[in-house]
Amino acid sequence: MRFRGRAARVVLLTWLVACFVCSALANIALLAGLIVLVAMLLPRQAARAARRALLTAVPLSVAILLLTWVHARLVLHVRPDLHAYAALALRTALIAFSSFAVLGAVDLMGALAPWPTLSRLLVVTLAQIHSLRLLARESWLGLRSRLPRKPSAIDGLRNAGGVTATMLTLSARNARDVSDALRSRGF
Amino acid sequence: MHIPDGFLAPTLTIPAYAVAAPLWVWGTRKHFGPSQMDALPAVGALTAVAFVLQTIMIPLPGGTSTHLVGACLLALLRGPLVAFVAESLVLLLQALFFGAGGITVLGVNALAMGLIGPLAAWLAFQALRRRAPAIGAFFGAYLGLQLSTLSVALILGLQHHLDAAQFPTPFPVALAAMMLPSLAITGVIEALYTVFALRVLARGRNTG
Repeated sequence: MRFRGRAARVVLLTWLVACFVCSALANIALLAGLIVLVAMLLPRQAARAARRALLTAVPLSVAILLLTWVHARLVLHVRPDLHAYAALALRTALIAFSSFAVLGAVDLMGALAPWPTLSRLLVVTLAQIHSLRLLARESWLGLRSRLPRKPSAIDGLRNAGGVTATMLTLSARNARDVSDALRSRGF
Repeated sequence: MHIPDGFLAPTLTIPAYAVAAPLWVWGTRKHFGPSQMDALPAVGALTAVAFVLQTIMIPLPGGTSTHLVGACLLALLRGPLVAFVAESLVLLLQALFFGAGGITVLGVNALAMGLIGPLAAWLAFQALRRRAPAIGAFFGAYLGLQLSTLSVALILGLQHHLDAAQFPTPFPVALAAMMLPSLAITGVIEALYTVFALRVLARGRNTG
């Protein structure tokens, strides 16, 4: 199921309110149940959203859990209460999972149609990001091919400084072109 | 440095939105022209540049790497409010499409990374630019990043103080975990990068 138009806007608003509500929950069973509920409500997006959440949001909360556990054991010599950490990890996972699932299920550009300025800003920015990422990657590959050794941190920094100057010049011109093209097509 | 969704309760995230929202409106109206249509390419371009800067990884000894933030450079080039608007959009895109940061903590992250740090960097640069612009840029970027990191650590500490069940990590642990890498590595890298980028941009302007 893919939500479009008004339905997409309702889903996005519900998701936004739900994110704030979920950020205050600490009951592990409830959080786990909500993850299952989201997966049942959006089954087609569930697998992809779960993979993305596991790769992006969950590792950080797990790293913080481990760091604090080590600190509590080695420095404070106490056994930490794992309940709060489990709730934190589940809360982070739930919000990330539901965000990816909902954004995968809605037609975002269609939902933003009543706000053409916002749509155009999103298109202009995302188009720029794609082309500038290619530029940054090619520049990095060029630097590697020019050096007989692996680039050091200083090489990387100098290269980043040069790339930034190029990006600032190019992006201003490209963004204007994309924006004009969008405007001429009625956005 | 971003705080992810779920770390902070609405008691902190909603007031942060209330503080950030008027600043977003003011920054957009003040710096991106009276006509939104004309402003869009500039906002989009600056946001895209800031976004891509954060994807440029700098290799570190030991096989690890870190990434640039770039908000301080934007503040030195275009002013702190422009940096705030662009960095806020970067954080929104990262939260929506890349799972970094989050939608509920957008206001907190934007104030810490997009306003406090870049504003401090800009003020330090303004104070030192006539005597030694390169030192001003280096010191400003270093100070800006440290203040951004400190702000994030402080807000996490405040959350722990308000409700330890929401964020169980004590403030000293969060502070040390965030500030030590920032003081020793990330701050120096960001400061050097800012100096290099300003130098290249100045050379480009001088030559043509």
